[in-house]
Amino acid sequence: MHPAQIKFQQDLTRRYFLQKSGYGIGSCALASLFLQDAAAGTRENPLSPQATDFPARAKNVIYIHLVGAPSHLDLFDYKPELQKRTGELCPDEFFEGKKLAFIREQPTLLGTPDDKDFKFQSCGQSGMQISNLLPHLQTVADDITVIKTVTTEQFNHAPAQLFLLTGFGQFGRPSLGSWVTYGLGSENQNLPGFVVLITGQVLGAGSSAWGSGFVPTVYQGVEFRSQGDPVLYLSNPDGVSPGSRRDIIDAVNGLNQVHFSDVADPEIATRISQYEMAYRMQTSVPELMDINSESPEIHKLYGTEPGKTSFANNCLLARRLVERGVRFVQLFDEGWDMHGGVFNNLPRKCKQVDQPIAALLKDLKERGLLDETLVVWSSEFGRTPMAQGKNGTGAMTKAGRDHHKEAYSIWMAGGGVKGGYVHGKTDELGYAPVEKPVHVHDLNATILHLLGMNHERLTFKYQGRQFRLTDVHGHVVREILA
Amino acid sequence: MKIVFKTARLQSGKSLQVLLGLLVAALGSLAFSPSAFAGSVDFEKHVQPILRQHCYRCHGETDDKGGLRLSRREAAFGTGDSGEPIINVGKPEESLLIHRIADADYGDVMPLDGEALSSQQIEILKRWIAEGAHWPDSAAVSRHWAYEPIARPDLPGVKHEGWIRTPVDHFILSRLDEEGLEPAPDQNRASWLRRVSLALIGLPPSPEEVDQFVNDNSADAEREVVDRLLASPRFGEKWAVGWLDLARYADSNGFQADQLRDSWAYRDWVISAYNQNKPFDEFVIEQLAGDLLPEATADQRIATGFHRTVTCNVEAGVHPEENRVNQVFDRVNTTGTVFMGTSMECAQCHDHKYDPFSQTDYYQLFAYFNNTPLEVKQTAGVTYDFYGPSMELPMEPEEADRRSELQAELAELKQQRDQRLKAADADYEAWLTDLRGKTEETDWQPVNVVDFKTTGGETWRELEDRSILITGKVPHTTTYTATVKSDLPRVTALRIEALTHPEIAGNGPGRGDPVRSNFILSEFIVTKTGGERDQKIELTAAAADYSQTRWEVPKAIDGDPSTGWAIGQEFQKPHWARFQLLKPISLAEDEQLQIEMVQNYGRGRTIGCFRLSAYSGDPLLLDVPEDLQKLAGNKKRSKAEEKKLRDHFNAADLQLARIDRQVKAVEKKLNALAPPTTLVMVEMDEPRKTCVLNRGDYLSPGKEVSPAIPALFQPGAGEYPENRLGFARWLVSNENPLLARVTVNRWWAELFGQGLVVTTEDFGSQGEPPTHPELLDWLASELRENDWSMKHVLREIVLSSTFRQSSRFTPELLERDPKNLLYARGPRFRLKAEVVRDNALAISGLLSDKMAGPPVMPYQPDGIWRSIGRNQPKWVTAKDEDRFRRGVYIVWKRDAPYTSLVSFDAPDRTACVPQRPRTNTPLQALTLLNDPAYAEMALGLTLRMLKESTDDSDHSRINRGFEIAVARDARPKEVEVLYGLLQSERQRVKEDPKLVEQRTGIKLPGFPEMDVNQQEAAAWFAVANVLLNLDETVTQE
Repeated sequence: MHPAQIKFQQDLTRRYFLQKSGYGIGSCALASLFLQDAAAGTRENPLSPQATDFPARAKNVIYIHLVGAPSHLDLFDYKPELQKRTGELCPDEFFEGKKLAFIREQPTLLGTPDDKDFKFQSCGQSGMQISNLLPHLQTVADDITVIKTVTTEQFNHAPAQLFLLTGFGQFGRPSLGSWVTYGLGSENQNLPGFVVLITGQVLGAGSSAWGSGFVPTVYQGVEFRSQGDPVLYLSNPDGVSPGSRRDIIDAVNGLNQVHFSDVADPEIATRISQYEMAYRMQTSVPELMDINSESPEIHKLYGTEPGKTSFANNCLLARRLVERGVRFVQLFDEGWDMHGGVFNNLPRKCKQVDQPIAALLKDLKERGLLDETLVVWSSEFGRTPMAQGKNGTGAMTKAGRDHHKEAYSIWMAGGGVKGGYVHGKTDELGYAPVEKPVHVHDLNATILHLLGMNHERLTFKYQGRQFRLTDVHGHVVREILA
Repeated sequence: MKIVFKTARLQSGKSLQVLLGLLVAALGSLAFSPSAFAGSVDFEKHVQPILRQHCYRCHGETDDKGGLRLSRREAAFGTGDSGEPIINVGKPEESLLIHRIADADYGDVMPLDGEALSSQQIEILKRWIAEGAHWPDSAAVSRHWAYEPIARPDLPGVKHEGWIRTPVDHFILSRLDEEGLEPAPDQNRASWLRRVSLALIGLPPSPEEVDQFVNDNSADAEREVVDRLLASPRFGEKWAVGWLDLARYADSNGFQADQLRDSWAYRDWVISAYNQNKPFDEFVIEQLAGDLLPEATADQRIATGFHRTVTCNVEAGVHPEENRVNQVFDRVNTTGTVFMGTSMECAQCHDHKYDPFSQTDYYQLFAYFNNTPLEVKQTAGVTYDFYGPSMELPMEPEEADRRSELQAELAELKQQRDQRLKAADADYEAWLTDLRGKTEETDWQPVNVVDFKTTGGETWRELEDRSILITGKVPHTTTYTATVKSDLPRVTALRIEALTHPEIAGNGPGRGDPVRSNFILSEFIVTKTGGERDQKIELTAAAADYSQTRWEVPKAIDGDPSTGWAIGQEFQKPHWARFQLLKPISLAEDEQLQIEMVQNYGRGRTIGCFRLSAYSGDPLLLDVPEDLQKLAGNKKRSKAEEKKLRDHFNAADLQLARIDRQVKAVEKKLNALAPPTTLVMVEMDEPRKTCVLNRGDYLSPGKEVSPAIPALFQPGAGEYPENRLGFARWLVSNENPLLARVTVNRWWAELFGQGLVVTTEDFGSQGEPPTHPELLDWLASELRENDWSMKHVLREIVLSSTFRQSSRFTPELLERDPKNLLYARGPRFRLKAEVVRDNALAISGLLSDKMAGPPVMPYQPDGIWRSIGRNQPKWVTAKDEDRFRRGVYIVWKRDAPYTSLVSFDAPDRTACVPQRPRTNTPLQALTLLNDPAYAEMALGLTLRMLKESTDDSDHSRINRGFEIAVARDARPKEVEVLYGLLQSERQRVKEDPKLVEQRTGIKLPGFPEMDVNQQEAAAWFAVANVLLNLDETVTQE
């Protein structure tokens, strides 16, 4: 790193740091204070690791978002009573005065099919119920906490995705991953602190789901793509060899150095270091993305095939990323929005994700990484215990389930959460929580807590206001902490 | 803590100006010369600003939590609940004020709702108390500075009048004088030209412009340059970008189903408004309420696109009203930020905590914007589409004429259609009666077969039911010819039934295969015989109970013997086919019909048993679905049912069909002529009722409110209509001090990289106070007093000595003022995303100057546009000059904005962006180094270096590269670096000739001719790549 960079900081960086650490730059921004901070080396680089508010349980996060929302009632929240009453009109209070996305006439109840493929199994020592659709996950039940009572406030996909991931149902706020990266920095300076991996189409919220909102754009997620350049513009243009690239960067930096010695703007020193990092990324990212180096046992465990685009490959990449100190890895897997034919489609999607996710937990555990890595299975909402029989245009379909915001299940593993624990309870038909509801803000507060951050103190001042991921809400769900 | 004090109203004795001046002095001394603290602490200079920022929002004029108003002297010197004095004069360690802000033992550290005070601030308060806590009577509880009227300040005196170029310099220099700082020397002229060009038009000067300017010694040289730049059409393209960020202008809906929609005419309006120097007050009025202006022009209506840029969720199952309310929220919040520098959002749910805006204020503003229609439309079930008011863009006169001709034609046709429909009314009624009376079957009658022949040698016999059973030989192919008579008075249709029979192998109806008992009726030909001459009967409207795929029944009357009607898969079942006669016939006594059934498929796929029937009824009665027949029988029918019947009837009306064909043709022509549209605001005829929404929830309306300006500004306010136009007129009036301040501050920020109020987005109490409040007010009055002329204000700024200073950092300045808040040096900051690109395009010689029109799609990597949603738009990379157009014209899809701009901090424009961050990342390096668009630009620069240099020497060419890229000569050291690279690249290219092809092949069609030595170009490509990546190249310095 260039010596000048150590001495000086980027204006913005300093400013943001000061705001965050509670030194207002209001009427009394003190130049001497800036320099003191600089001298103490608190944040020469916006992504350098930051101290936590209290000891962290988890260092990194692998956040798996099942886009469209899986049918939690057929996977985690077993409801024999619902099965029994399948076909009955739902209780009036499930329908009247409620806003539903697709259902427009009082619907009937829809239980999980009475079929061995869909049967629930008592798993692990805790005996928690997991569907036979997730046979691999059943084997790691003792490593996970299932929360059955997550509630959200939005029932359309894009707003609910934004609400879950940014704490606000409209655009403009920073995403969870960027809050975390802003709060904690990154352990690996050769890779972005927040990496996004996608299978299927991009979710409705678009890049805002991993955007940085009003925090600096260095904290936004960087998508690692499975086709083409893994990071945009990573590879050299045709005819530029690695040797040429090195020489070109040397020349750029050499000329920048000449100019720096004239105008002395610290920003030039920063740019010099960024070109060095870009060069390092040209090697480190392809190396990271190349899963050929993994053993056959690992490939068998995950069901990975090098060179393919698959959720399994992304799970393995997630492990490789946290292994290298990437702070926040977010997987999006599209295709879970089953308004029709839920019992045909759910087994197919489960098959794609079950083995790799269980493999990821086992592999992390094997490597001693699970303790410090929080793995989250989540979605923007759940699905109704009522049947949906028509699609968006009003045509009849095989039974599916509509969007459901009152209660749904997510699970977490590793990173300081209990294993083999079920939190909260929904009513016998799975409509609403009856015990221990967990609001999306509570969930986010808890994730930040596991990372050693007080969600009320992780703030960013914008437009005169201290913004938080959890707005003015959120309680840490202490019962799930190990 | 409870304090009971009857406080007297304090008088506001001091003028704001004095106060502001003091504030500035406080800031200056605190921020830049800590040594100033050797002196005593002053209440107004040092203490009050701290209280105002941290305490007054809960313990001030608007709120007195715990009964405490720290804004009042009597209260501040009172005691808390415990009896402990709040301010114990001379004893900070025994003052509750200090305890509560610094010591957690006394409870949660204040302020509870925000960041803690800094140790410096606490130190100031302590020292003030220790020094006697002098709180002068004269200290006013003034309003926050930003809400005070704008007063035009006098120009402050300065030590060196000679440095002054424009009045701006007075304010900067007098401040520097106070600080004991010297301004930096002038930037050299070439660099100033580059700075001012990038600042005003976002493009670098050409080497020729640099030469000309540097050699122009006239006193007006700078002014002429500035006038040229201000008059350039490129000016609007540069300044529009920041405005479009504020206006959250994009080309798509956002959310799921992020489809494209047209409002680019609004983007062009902004560019053109800047270019015309439209007075800023009009600029504001037209965007907020152009539609409400008397006799609004097309342009004024287009301008209202400003508030039609809001995101819109059209995913299935969305609730339109919720969507609409969210859009109005966005309009109110954006209006607050853009025109008032105020974040209104807090007041959506409750009174603003920091700034003097109540929840009622919020919904009174909301009421101005609440009278627009829903913007999603239900298309089916719970499926919605984006819609909402749009207008057609004005057309060329010739096209407009042609269009009105066609429209007239269409109107005429529609009239004809109506007439035809009316004329057919009687027929329709008759048809209904017929439908009621009989079923179709009653009008079918088997014909009398008077003669029958086959060509395949089969035998046959007629059965009781008048069918003909074929027996005997099964030939490969055959033709049956039946001569038939009918008793019917007229014949309108003929039918052949292919029947099963136990005597046919496998029961039939086909003869050739007992299992797959298919037949193929190749042609069905009817001739009237027995008259003067035989007459071929034209058949039409073939129908059948069933047809095999690719063997549909119309093929039996298509004249092609290789095609035909077959019934594959539906074996062993009877089938029928029916053919209408184009013209009904009557058979005279001696006339017959000769019906040929050609069956030449082969392998005995022939009919085993058939019956022929004739139909005498109205063809309209054929195939009437059962439900319609039933409807016809009903005494009462709903409108929808009546329509269903009439539609069925109309479908068979040949005259109507002819008119409809013409209508379609004209409509097609009209569609081709249809002008593009753009989204605009319209006011509904019936205004909506507006209520305060409790907690911002649209399902929880509270008290009703009417449109009104914020209460803060109501005293002494003039009369304005209670609509958007009235509100806009108030915004631009002298009653609103915010607009002019916020606006000039933004322009300053655009030129200097930061505002005089650093928080350009927040002029409230939590924002930064201005570094130069008097300059801010001077600029604001200058704007107002010069007919809101933006170009006038910009000219005053860019011609100043302040703007002309060298941007070199010195160790002293780095220490004293690292952020350049005092402007003792010139601005230096990285260019905006769009300017990074435009600048590189200009340097490469590729930049297109084409303006306006639909958004363009230059190169971007595959797979960026792949979000969920219907009719997902496709990225089609432009193959023409469009790919070299300025960034402002690039399509902006909110779910996935243009990647190379995103690398440089371009937002997704899903919400109002008052200020982009300015980061410095490795992704930026990768973009400039490797993005194929930049690689092509590097090739463009290569070409220029090789062709434009004064001679062929490497030195000249390198120097030319510097002239083009950064408007200056190369330093010897720089030449050395690039020459070294050039030599090693020459070697590489020589050793590996395919590099030549690869590097020079980066270009796409439309690239200028590469009429240079290709091998040299390949080596120079690396040099060009370097020049486009320099920090200096992407920096305005």
